[in-house]
Amino acid sequence: MRPSSGEDAPGADRRERWLPFLFVGPAILLLLAVLGLPAVTAVLQSFNLVWVREPGFSLDAYRQLATDPQFATTLSTTALYVGLVVSLHLTIGLAVALALNADLPAKWLFRVAAILPWTVPDVISGIIWRFVFDTLPGMANAILLRLGAVDQPVDWLGSPSLAFFGVVTAEVWRGYPFVMLILLAGLQAIPAHLYEAAAIDGAGAWQSFRYVTLPALRNMVIVALVLDVIWEARLFGTVYGMTGGGPGDATQLVSTLTFRQYFEFFNPAYASAMAVVLAVTMLIVAIPYLRVTMSRNA
Amino acid sequence: MTRPRRPFVALILGLMLLYNLAPFYWVVSSSLKPPLEVIDFPATLWPRQATVEAYAKIWQQEGFPVYFLNSLITSSGTALISSLVGVFAAYGFSRFAFRGKLALMAILLTSQMLPGVLLVGPYFELLSRAGLYDTRLGLVLALSTITLPFSVWMLKGYIDTIPPEIDQAAMLDGASRLQVLTKVILPNVMPGLVATVTFAFLLAWGDVLWALCLIQDQARQPMTLGVLKMFGQFRVEWAQIMAATLVATAIPSCLYVLLQRYLVQGFAGSAIKD
Repeated sequence: MRPSSGEDAPGADRRERWLPFLFVGPAILLLLAVLGLPAVTAVLQSFNLVWVREPGFSLDAYRQLATDPQFATTLSTTALYVGLVVSLHLTIGLAVALALNADLPAKWLFRVAAILPWTVPDVISGIIWRFVFDTLPGMANAILLRLGAVDQPVDWLGSPSLAFFGVVTAEVWRGYPFVMLILLAGLQAIPAHLYEAAAIDGAGAWQSFRYVTLPALRNMVIVALVLDVIWEARLFGTVYGMTGGGPGDATQLVSTLTFRQYFEFFNPAYASAMAVVLAVTMLIVAIPYLRVTMSRNA
Repeated sequence: MTRPRRPFVALILGLMLLYNLAPFYWVVSSSLKPPLEVIDFPATLWPRQATVEAYAKIWQQEGFPVYFLNSLITSSGTALISSLVGVFAAYGFSRFAFRGKLALMAILLTSQMLPGVLLVGPYFELLSRAGLYDTRLGLVLALSTITLPFSVWMLKGYIDTIPPEIDQAAMLDGASRLQVLTKVILPNVMPGLVATVTFAFLLAWGDVLWALCLIQDQARQPMTLGVLKMFGQFRVEWAQIMAATLVATAIPSCLYVLLQRYLVQGFAGSAIKD
């Protein structure tokens, strides 16, 4: 898995010195222009320096953020949402991966059914769940009423706590199959002799799960965990399509609030400050992943 | 192989099928209802009289053929640029040791972590100044750059599996680096390349944030935006909206199901191998 490196060691053809940059150059230029420039601009905007109404260095946006109750609520909603969604992804993902790893008839059919939600674009998933939870013609109420579990239709997306629960249900649905696929790949890579050895030592099902399966999955869990936290923390489409952040700010996430501040309330400095806080938080979360990946590829 | 107990397996799979498939059932059933039945309370679980009226309406009156075509153009453009630029970068990172390589790879990885809402506002201002607001080109450039880090990373993983001695042998036979890449490497990483192209296509297909901020004209909006805009109308036609969500999901669902194995390798390759 470590090709190359030695090849351009001292003594290699000198004409090849500039060659690597021809290969990686276009990608780097595109990244700098399309991602780098806007990222730097966003930081400058957040300090009120460019593309704002009256440019001039100011920390007002950050000061305002620190005292804005709406941002505080949104931040804690986002944290709760990411924490809840990611832990459910891992739990359900692991359970389904274990089940799919057993000997099954028509396994590929189960597998297809298992990944299907993941293939739905996020905003589309939000719209579908919006109709599932619709108060009058929705599916959730149709079933609950028929089962006699409720007498009155439940106003799922009209009540703050139920709407939050609804958004979490939708995003758990769409996101867990990916975590499941990563964990399943990890399970399939565990050599059978480890389980045989554990069985010879008298380990039961729980013990071989605890002492063989879980430690072997450690790397996969870290990869899945970090990628998932990053994806969920910047997720936009599900909430935007399902509740638009409402009712009130009950399902407002940093991503949807930033969008509204920028494109609906025209507060670029304030919106950018919010996004910078989100980005910095995510980069900190990503450090373990970056370190693992870089050390493997160095 | 783990040997979980049978009842455990059956229970988990049963719950999984229920959770995963119920919303799809609801989409299909609602999309086949006539406009009045779909807003009945309490809802019928299956249409009393199934009709494909909703599909005919979105296709004939709502401009969905245009949105579909737009999604196809935008996503193909994204897949093409992202993979073309990506394959060169991946080869460069895989085969050469050069000054600043680690830093550039770190930039590549880090750029994947930036949230879209951080970038889309300033990018919108940039595009407006460049006269590219409300054009497919502006949208495609953004989406191909967002998918680029992933494409490079995934392709590098595939190219890494081919021993560099093969490159050396081809060059001894007089091939240039470019010929090595196109004639030796690419044929050998075809499945990986196909997976990368598809994944970039799918990411672009699923985007709504960038289209929402960069596209104004209905004639250029993709599927996701088209479905979303159906709520802004005079009445919310749920049967048509559900039909539209199904149409918007059909292509990605088929492609993902076909390619899931490759995608997992791309994401988790290094973690599996250890």
